[in-house]
Amino acid sequence: MSKLIVVACGAGINTSTIAEDLIRERMEGEGLDVEVKRVLIADIDKYIGRMDLVVCMMKIYREFDVPQLKGMPFLIGTKAEKQVLLDEIVELIKD
Amino acid sequence: MVRLQESFIFVDLEAQDSDEVIAALAGSLFEAGSVAEGYGKAAIERERIHATGLPTRPFPIAFPHADSEGVHQSALAVAIHKTPVVFRNMADPDEELAVELVIMLANKSPEEQIETLRSLAELFGDPDKLSELRYLKREAKIVEWLKRELAL
Repeated sequence: MSKLIVVACGAGINTSTIAEDLIRERMEGEGLDVEVKRVLIADIDKYIGRMDLVVCMMKIYREFDVPQLKGMPFLIGTKAEKQVLLDEIVELIKD
Repeated sequence: MVRLQESFIFVDLEAQDSDEVIAALAGSLFEAGSVAEGYGKAAIERERIHATGLPTRPFPIAFPHADSEGVHQSALAVAIHKTPVVFRNMADPDEELAVELVIMLANKSPEEQIETLRSLAELFGDPDKLSELRYLKREAKIVEWLKRELAL
């Protein structure tokens, strides 16, 4: 079964799409079998147990039993900062 | 295809608050037929629940929008404020940001416009480019600059 990265957002269609697309492109580039899915924070419970990594586009006051990263650099980070975050995601999802 | 024209650009906009900025931008899109009349109201309501301010460098920006419902044709509208206007931070709504530049994107379907969104994210992450845009001052120049930078 492929791994699952959830991009959690408050409501945004636009902002989370940017993160989703950058992550998916990198996963394909790495040849990793990973599904990337945009999910509203309100709906995230459905993915607990199934997801392997959460990228949060906003502050959330919850913790999950999988690694959790802040996704804001995808929107406002420099190219280098976006790269660092993608590298970190690759490392975490490979484990 | 993302529509962008001089009537969607506001230079030295004087606004009391974020509602006024959003209403001005959405109004220009409505007049051109790109969005339904209710788009501005929807974006103002959305902004209250899901803020769109971003702590970009060298100054904060905001990225108000509503759902694709009510968007007839994708478009971008831009306001450069005479004096900063408060928007709340998307990542932490308790934080207020003194926003100097607002980009409203009316999005017919986000999947179709991923390239535009990516170009926007590159712009948001580039302090030099944001400064350049901030000080262009003329509507025609801003349109030309954005079309080039965002490959519209």
